[in-house]
Amino acid sequence: MKTSVRFAWQLGWLLGAVVILAPVLRAADIADCKLVPGWQQDGASRHYAADNLFEYLDGGAEGYLLYGFKQLQGVTCASGDNSIVMDLSEMVDSEAAYGIFSSNRDPHAPLQKIGMGGQLMPQRSTFAKGNFYVELTATPDGDHTSALQAFTAALEQRISGSTTPPEQIAWFAPEKLVSVHLVPESVLGLPELRRGYVAEYDQGKAFVVEEASPEAAQTVLGKLRARFAGSKSAPVADEAILAQDKYLDWVCFFRKGKFLGGYTNLPDGPTAQAKASKLVGRLP
Amino acid sequence: MSRTSTRRDFISASVITSVAGLASTAGLWGSTEPTPAAGGLSYRILGKTGLKVTSVGFGCMITSDASVIERAADIGINYFDTSRGYQHGNNERMVGAALKRKRNSLYIATKTDGSTKAAVLKELDTSLLELGTDHVEVWHLHGKDKPADAPDELFEAQQIAKQQGKIRFAGVSTHNPKEMIPFLVKKGATDVVLATYNFTMDKDVADVMAQAQQAGMGVVAMKVMAGGFRRGKPGDATASKLQRPGAMLAALKWVLNDPHVHTTIPSMTGMNQLDENLKAMAEPYSSQEEKILAAHLEFITPLYCRMCGECDGHCAQGLPVANVLRYLTYADGYGQFALGRENFQRLPEEALSVRCGDCPTCTVECPNGVAVRKRMSRAQELFA
Repeated sequence: MKTSVRFAWQLGWLLGAVVILAPVLRAADIADCKLVPGWQQDGASRHYAADNLFEYLDGGAEGYLLYGFKQLQGVTCASGDNSIVMDLSEMVDSEAAYGIFSSNRDPHAPLQKIGMGGQLMPQRSTFAKGNFYVELTATPDGDHTSALQAFTAALEQRISGSTTPPEQIAWFAPEKLVSVHLVPESVLGLPELRRGYVAEYDQGKAFVVEEASPEAAQTVLGKLRARFAGSKSAPVADEAILAQDKYLDWVCFFRKGKFLGGYTNLPDGPTAQAKASKLVGRLP
Repeated sequence: MSRTSTRRDFISASVITSVAGLASTAGLWGSTEPTPAAGGLSYRILGKTGLKVTSVGFGCMITSDASVIERAADIGINYFDTSRGYQHGNNERMVGAALKRKRNSLYIATKTDGSTKAAVLKELDTSLLELGTDHVEVWHLHGKDKPADAPDELFEAQQIAKQQGKIRFAGVSTHNPKEMIPFLVKKGATDVVLATYNFTMDKDVADVMAQAQQAGMGVVAMKVMAGGFRRGKPGDATASKLQRPGAMLAALKWVLNDPHVHTTIPSMTGMNQLDENLKAMAEPYSSQEEKILAAHLEFITPLYCRMCGECDGHCAQGLPVANVLRYLTYADGYGQFALGRENFQRLPEEALSVRCGDCPTCTVECPNGVAVRKRMSRAQELFA
């Protein structure tokens, strides 16, 4: 073997070993008050797992568990009379991290480019990056934007992982969009739609659920057809139904390959069908 | 008689004694006997509040679509539970929007996580704004698990809120009813208690629930499905047992079968869960369901640590038994081996070197029937 080839192999092995052996930063290593000068830890650090998260979040813990919560590491930081509660929740994957962020985000506050997505407000900052969902809450009442911004930037830099929101977010048209969130079970309250994304608009709601195969999606649409008695077929995507429901108003459900999607809470059938057709065009 | 069989008897006895219990408690603070109504709904009087509530209420905390809540209200469920903290306020907003059409015929309970008088009163104003109402029926101090968590100023805040007409009744929620209910009864400032209560618990918990009811409090049960039903992963042995058809309904009926409980707040995310839970009001707790729950207990008892703390300090080798069992649950119950091992490895060096198999006898006897030595040995084999 030529020297240059051998060197390339050795370098490759070395780089591989570095990647494998590189310490993965855990929540405990990241949550640190010293990230921002002038702040220090107040009290002991917190650690919770799935079975005792309720001790910290009480009933709110259930929501985290539904999204795929692994563990939470937190510290309280103090500077003078001000304090910031810093909690890092490690989720099973980046989609779960984005999911809990999307569930907890304030729909009336703007979304900012922090990690995969975040919100910075006078007393609160949240964002998702990689497998982590980060929450910072400042007290007492007042504008803590600069301190929150400094901690947010430091944490964002310290956490590795995806900075790209789940691709599904881009499937929903941005015009008059209020929010998009991942629903971990029973999308629209319908058990047939097990897990998917829901977009809330000024008028109506759109959703997309990905099934394992076109056949599985076909089965689900059949169940929806049975649930919504009186529904009729509509010329949208591979197959679709149009129905009227007391709670979802006019709704159009469609199947495109393995995807199920639709529009709900619209004033009439033609509008539901037209909006659903536009959504079809945005799906892969 | 072993503890396990005592627990099974407790489940079983509930079927037999419920009628007698209903008879003996009726008339104290109105009848606790479920009143059947059209559509299979049943009602009970929420203690001294006098509110006539459906025995199955609606825990809104993880509901993500307002249509489920709206439909529940249309069907006739009239007690809805939320909290300022759920989904960071998004939950209260959704509940308010879903219930606004029927607000005057429904009862809304919410909670505050604040720790000072000023903070909780401020939270209450935010709750009312988000719920779109000028008052709530019940306002709980959230998650108070020991008396020190509930200082006098919080009870004072509830009285102020009552005087201002922003709440009708004062409540406290707790995961530790054994300690908190006697405290609340003695204090006498609480109208409604919301407590964790399910078939996996000791009879002692049933006793304090009865104590609350006899003191005139409205008694609301939460975590009635014993948590683990929903969390298990597909394919996991525990999950598959707990998620069998009928198991959740049986657990809910078991709680409703206790005459001291006035209503329950099972969480619901979909229409199917709503339909399933409605059956609990229309059908009695059956011997078949008793068998289902007994089988669950038989399965989980040797495995499931309830973190009661009774084993603290009992290990001759000084092992923190409850913590090690918890770490094992991370691996066995939640499929998170790395998390279990990581925590186990943080134990002090002297604890890590102990092997339970080396002890001639085990000095720890779990009052709930967990096979401590066997489980500890498994943790040591798995993580060490």
